[in-house]
Amino acid sequence: MTEHPQRHEHRGCVPVRRGPSPFLDGDPERERLRPAADRRTFLKVAGAGGAGLLFSAAPGAETAVAAPRTWNRAYVLVVDGCRPDEIDSGLMPNLKALRSSGTTYPAARSLPVMETIPNHVMMMTGVRPDRNGVPANSFFDRALGEERTLDRPGDLKASTLLWWARKHGMTSGTVLSKEYLYGIFGRQATYRWEPRPIVPISGHAPDSFTMDATLSIVERFDPHLVFVNLGDVDRVGHTDLTGGLSLEVLRRTALVTTDLQVGRFVQMLRTTGRWEKSIVVVLADHSMDWSLPHRVISLTRPLAADPFLAGKVEIAQNGGANLLYWTGPASQRQAGVDRMVAIARAQRGVLGVYDRAKVQRQLRLGPEAGDVVVYCQAGWRFSDPNVLSNPIPGNHGHPPTAPIPFFVSGGHPIVRPGSSPLPATTVDVTPTVAKFLGLPFPTGRQAWEGQARI
Amino acid sequence: MTPAAPAPGERRLSLPPVPRRTVLATGALAGAAALTSASFVDDSARAAYSSPYFLHGVASGDPLAHRVLLWTRVTPEPGATPGSGRGPAVTVRYEVSTDTRFRHLVTSGTVRTDASADHTVKVDAWGLQPGRWYYYRFVHRGVASPVGRTRSAPDYASVPERVRFGVVSCANLQAGYFHAYRHLAARSDLDAILHLGDYVYEYGPGEYGMGPDDVDVRTHVPAREMTTLTDYRQRHAQYKQDPDLQWLHSKYPFIVTWDDHESTNDAWRDGAENHQPATEDTWERRRARAHRAYDEWMPVRMSSTTALGDGTRLFRSLRFGRLAELSMLDLRSYRDEQAAYPIVDATVSRPDRTITGREQMDWLKRAVASREVQWKLVGNPVMIAPVTFAQLPTALLDPVNDVTGLLPRDGSPYNVDQWDGYTDDRRELFTHIRDQGIRDTVFVTGDIHSGWAADLPYDVATYPLGRSAGVELVCSSVTSNNLKDILAARPRTASLGVESVIKLANRHVKYLDFDSHGYSVLDVTSARVQMDWFVTGARDQRNAGSTWATSFQTLAGTNTLRRASAPVGGN
Repeated sequence: MTEHPQRHEHRGCVPVRRGPSPFLDGDPERERLRPAADRRTFLKVAGAGGAGLLFSAAPGAETAVAAPRTWNRAYVLVVDGCRPDEIDSGLMPNLKALRSSGTTYPAARSLPVMETIPNHVMMMTGVRPDRNGVPANSFFDRALGEERTLDRPGDLKASTLLWWARKHGMTSGTVLSKEYLYGIFGRQATYRWEPRPIVPISGHAPDSFTMDATLSIVERFDPHLVFVNLGDVDRVGHTDLTGGLSLEVLRRTALVTTDLQVGRFVQMLRTTGRWEKSIVVVLADHSMDWSLPHRVISLTRPLAADPFLAGKVEIAQNGGANLLYWTGPASQRQAGVDRMVAIARAQRGVLGVYDRAKVQRQLRLGPEAGDVVVYCQAGWRFSDPNVLSNPIPGNHGHPPTAPIPFFVSGGHPIVRPGSSPLPATTVDVTPTVAKFLGLPFPTGRQAWEGQARI
Repeated sequence: MTPAAPAPGERRLSLPPVPRRTVLATGALAGAAALTSASFVDDSARAAYSSPYFLHGVASGDPLAHRVLLWTRVTPEPGATPGSGRGPAVTVRYEVSTDTRFRHLVTSGTVRTDASADHTVKVDAWGLQPGRWYYYRFVHRGVASPVGRTRSAPDYASVPERVRFGVVSCANLQAGYFHAYRHLAARSDLDAILHLGDYVYEYGPGEYGMGPDDVDVRTHVPAREMTTLTDYRQRHAQYKQDPDLQWLHSKYPFIVTWDDHESTNDAWRDGAENHQPATEDTWERRRARAHRAYDEWMPVRMSSTTALGDGTRLFRSLRFGRLAELSMLDLRSYRDEQAAYPIVDATVSRPDRTITGREQMDWLKRAVASREVQWKLVGNPVMIAPVTFAQLPTALLDPVNDVTGLLPRDGSPYNVDQWDGYTDDRRELFTHIRDQGIRDTVFVTGDIHSGWAADLPYDVATYPLGRSAGVELVCSSVTSNNLKDILAARPRTASLGVESVIKLANRHVKYLDFDSHGYSVLDVTSARVQMDWFVTGARDQRNAGSTWATSFQTLAGTNTLRRASAPVGGN
């Protein structure tokens, strides 16, 4: 077992930056899309209240006007970490009204690992992590020999809808409240808002600022597609110490304020005449589960205590999911995996332990997710390397946090009020938006896996 | 209350069609639409009464996308009465058509039956199109049975807009007339009938009738507690000749499970409260007889087949497209004995005790975790909602216990005959629901002779803080005694106090009616599941009306209940 005494205390959602990442392939198209300050074009736009908002844009984009290929506009709003029942809580009237005017998918679920980065990537790539290379927030980078956040453009191994729209003559925009989301999507979009101000510790911009940027990017640049992450519900949920007591006091406050921001957005669409030509896809990347301080699982010690495994296992902690990596000799890998599975399964609070390769068809995670995937039960969390490492009560990543809200609303005639029992997932966003915008669907090995939900 | 003429007997129960038409003309729901839609059934009823061969009507059940089980009982000669063991082996033809006049046959065939099957006929009619109405009949020696109507289930991959069930349980023939069945049959907007158990009762005359004095509105046949195979067959035959039940069977497919009274009271794996091995043979043999008669006489696939004697597995799932899956439970065959003293007997929460059995629990956990359907409906013979109580006045304890068994004298929070008596199983199931992020699970329940609507909190003590595993909707009894019957009180008088105390101590209980008999209608759409409760009139009067009492619904994703303003459909 390799110990990392200098690790940050929590890696479930807070990005741990460890320097630039080399691009993992030589695709010149994606190379062109990676963030590079020297190639960015900065656009300063007056935001709400007169504050200046800084966007970066693809070269030439500052003079571009959205191609009149279609007048349709698609907006994807991710209410990060929102539970589906919270929209019925009475605290989110704007979201509830938006849902009522569209088609909702009550059986919708996030996909493994139920974390922020992988599910945002699935939304914009339309494929699962074994194809897009992003299975979790945090993983063990075997090349670097350390755990890090999957937040580098080079980590992304699949094309995104943001890029696909540009390739077909449309424009796209990203307004992502979290630094690591801004990082992973790099320069995929035509217009990118670099989140600021960033709240210390949480690494995200408050929703009021995110919505200011959203309104500005829509009104100033009018992209065909805008991808928005509203991070307050998730970030406040993580730190809400009353969550384990079922009070969720802070969380409820965040529901109200985030809902107000959604109301601002809908109002803008209506007042600027965009509503009738738009769809608004609203979903979450995962939901949230709260644990009490004594319901903590730490796998570092029991794995290190096993003579066969000692020094040959790395752990990437993802809140409600732990990813275990065998670092010993390849010839002993299966024996090591079997030992890890047995030991993890014996720990109190563990829900499920999977030999990733054996359940590849179910989990679809790919090698970046390591050798063993461990989920905790509802009301528990992982904390490694020791039980004090993760003091955060709100977590996700495990199956209890899979249910998400997912609905397609807006004023375009294609939108129909109703409810569908079909099990929508985060990979459905790409084909849904593409179909609406009239974009071609890639075929063969590039084909999207999701279903269009319009 | 004035009891009706006693001992009508099974033949007299099926006498002329006049009462049926009278009922239609005077029943509360006998509007023009109901009369029109029921016309083929009226024709069928006349055929039944004029046919010497099909005295017990027709039925269908367990609808699948491409097949439905069809049932009848043929009486090939007058002496071949149910349970007699007499009568020749005969061949019966079945026909399934898309029209009432059988001009467009979809499938047909012949079935052989004899006295070993009590001359019952069960056949799977294959080759049906999903989500369609069909008409069926049986023919023997050129004489046709009543015409039945049935409906196949939607295709697995389809997205039906809705599915709607009639919901019933606890129909004790001695306690009155089956108004609930008649009023459900008068509707034309259902897809199937969900019967949650206590379809027949085991008691002899005078043992369990109407009210505190056990008045027999009608008298059971045979005139003794059923214990032998002949007894069980004759009792089923008697119920199958009830005109209201016949009408309902002919109008809709049934999806059934048993509770205890199909064998005997408070049954468990190796015995029953109402079984005396010294005088009633071994429990194994008695239960086998009950199960054999049930297999013969009910439109259900035991162990997934229509064959008799090939197994008694009753728990099974039925799928309604992507909208819902219905998992029907058997909570009598595998359970451990009920705890004797609820509050002082820690056995209620012992992990080695079970109400489902291991195999059924694993199957149920897989079923509710299905990603293929949105709504996970559970046909649940006994209540799963936890029920705890503040102390009630002693004067009320015994009557409440007579009806529900809910209130041990020491104030125990447990009814040991329902899931409260097997809390480890409930905890395992609820934990599974929470751990797997399962939503939209709805338990539809019978057994307790009262109407309930309840959330299913993970932690009763802190609720409504905290979350709910799903909801439970409990239908009232068709005729079996409820609290006001035991108290001989006027409706909505003595029970009100009890209901208030229970709801006060159990904040997850949203609705409770200890006084009413009737039926429910369960309507499932993607957006919500709603149950409507209907109350029927005096049990000892041949014709009585039906009125809507209340409705509750759970919105998708919420796992909680709220009151609904109006019932669904109704025509």
